[in-house]
Amino acid sequence: MASEDQDVLRVEDLRKYFVIGGGLNPFSKKEKFLRAVDGVSIRVPARRTTAIVGESGSGKTTLARAVTLLDAPTSGRIFFLGKEIRKWNAKPRELYRNMQMVFQDPDSSLDPRSKVKDSIAEPLRSLIGGDRKSTYNTVLKSLEEVGLPEEYADRFPTSLSGGEKQRVAIARAIATHPKLVILDEPTSALDASVQAQILKLLLDLQTQYSLSYMFITHNIAVATYFSDTIAVMYAGNVVEYGQTKSVMTKPRHPYTVALVSSAPLPNPRIRNLLNVEIVGEVPSAIDPPSGCKFHPRCPYAEKICTDADPPLEEIAPGHFVACHFVDKTA
Amino acid sequence: MAELLSVKDFVVTYKTQWGNVRALDEVSLSIEKNKLVCVVGESGCGKSTVALSIIGLLPQGASVADGGSINYKGVDLSSLDEKKRREYRGTEIAMIFQEPLTSLNPVYRVGDQIAEAILIRMAREKGKGAELQTEVMKNSYDSRSLRRPSRLKLRSSMPSELKDEVVRALKLVRMPDPEQVPERYPFELSGGMRQRIMIAMALAEKPALLIADEPTTALDVTTQAQVLKLMRGLITEVDASILLITHDLAVASQVADRVIVMYAGDIVEDASALDLFSEPLHPYTQGLLACIPSGFKDESQLKPIPGRLPDNRNPPEGCKFVTRCPYAMDICHKKRPRLLESRPNHRVECFLYGE
Repeated sequence: MASEDQDVLRVEDLRKYFVIGGGLNPFSKKEKFLRAVDGVSIRVPARRTTAIVGESGSGKTTLARAVTLLDAPTSGRIFFLGKEIRKWNAKPRELYRNMQMVFQDPDSSLDPRSKVKDSIAEPLRSLIGGDRKSTYNTVLKSLEEVGLPEEYADRFPTSLSGGEKQRVAIARAIATHPKLVILDEPTSALDASVQAQILKLLLDLQTQYSLSYMFITHNIAVATYFSDTIAVMYAGNVVEYGQTKSVMTKPRHPYTVALVSSAPLPNPRIRNLLNVEIVGEVPSAIDPPSGCKFHPRCPYAEKICTDADPPLEEIAPGHFVACHFVDKTA
Repeated sequence: MAELLSVKDFVVTYKTQWGNVRALDEVSLSIEKNKLVCVVGESGCGKSTVALSIIGLLPQGASVADGGSINYKGVDLSSLDEKKRREYRGTEIAMIFQEPLTSLNPVYRVGDQIAEAILIRMAREKGKGAELQTEVMKNSYDSRSLRRPSRLKLRSSMPSELKDEVVRALKLVRMPDPEQVPERYPFELSGGMRQRIMIAMALAEKPALLIADEPTTALDVTTQAQVLKLMRGLITEVDASILLITHDLAVASQVADRVIVMYAGDIVEDASALDLFSEPLHPYTQGLLACIPSGFKDESQLKPIPGRLPDNRNPPEGCKFVTRCPYAMDICHKKRPRLLESRPNHRVECFLYGE
């Protein structure tokens, strides 16, 4: 196990609540909270990949936005490169030089009216500075790293395919040589063959630039393949966390078990999908179920599950599960 | 097995502002009774165009070349005029789309929308009794008059037989709470429930063929599993065939009896699910399978297919996959391969398996 000072990112008990309701009446008592992220602790070790998997509404993207301080967290602590970062004392130039993000949809994350070279140069100009020539050289180098020819520098995003646009977004993220790149569903909008190209590119860049990744995805097969540690989120909580191999070969939380068996295997002889037992859907984050949020869908739920939210407990070295009846999945 | 539908040499061209695009290039396929056939391919390969051609909903600007045919129960659908064709839509061939929220009408209760489908089916069913019954129901409950604001009155006048039919349709798709759901509006339901409503609407017309275009792509994995399991079970339960369009080979392997792989407007391989996944013949199918991440990164390598899709406005002269193919030979650059049955019940479009 890596010791704590080797972690690029450490998040402790992070919460992000959104205030909703109440309407225009300032005296309304109807104000409610949407608990998008409700007490999450994770670590991203240096030069490793931590995957965050979960279904829509589980809070994975909110977690990423809180970690990058794009949305200030409601409570909790974030340690980046050994120092605590907070919204009010963060020095953006210093922070974002080392922490970059790649989003799901390159159509909305690339400016349609900027040439490729200007999009990639943007973080270099605003975060690092330097003269035009060295900036341009770095742009060309980044383009080469992501496998795009030099002449793409003068093109506009509209003339690129989805995979090429995502390559530009990756080139922009690595241009400042960050320590941590947060990848929010970077391949979800892409076709299977392009997804494989991008995943391979990200793995190559990771070794070359000693990058650490926080990789957010809903695709279990991709997360399993791509990551070293994995955190499974459900309705704002991490329900299982540990080394990818031990979590995915022997999932212990009933939700992880359901999630793994719902992921279709490309093999018609093992029709796992047709034996899936799980029912229902992800609960609302405004009025979540009491106790363990998974209990309405859980085959093992008993009274204690509706009363108390189970804490994340270490069941094997480095393997954490939040379940009252973890023995039942052994 | 009895053949329900067969498409022969079908060519569809889209007129775009950048030139004509051949979306389907002499496509031939057949669907047998009570089978689930999957069409798999990446974006732009023409898989949705296959679905739209069969149901006859090609967009404006699409033109169908002469010589192709769509044979359904002995009738060539492509030769019918729009009025005749319409009679097949719904009660013979029904379709559900990817995003249920855009296919459901947001201002009608879902019960009313399902009832409309049931009324259409009743009106088309032969037999005097049925016609009479439809007439009675239409008098007291006409879905077209819902456009007027007196909705409350109308809802209360929904005949109880019709209401029972709606609940039965919802029970068929395993909808939780089938008694209450008809009163809800689409926005009050979750994504998985909306897709179940779409399936319930399509099945309320008792079609012989259900076409589903990426029905689970917008859904979460646990919901996707539930919907696919439901669709697979429906084949025997309602005696229908299903044509499932998907970009996900893994999904196809899980539910399909037969899998058709498309690339750039061509069918490149067509085989039973067991054969296709145990012995993929076409280099593109092999490449697609190698693109699916399996296991852990230190145990297996991803092998992406190099290059990109050809430009469908002026495709390469020979095989369309030639620039990306690891086995490309001289002939592949010069001549277009044909889709041939090179193994029993296994068609492939590639010179590697003979001319």
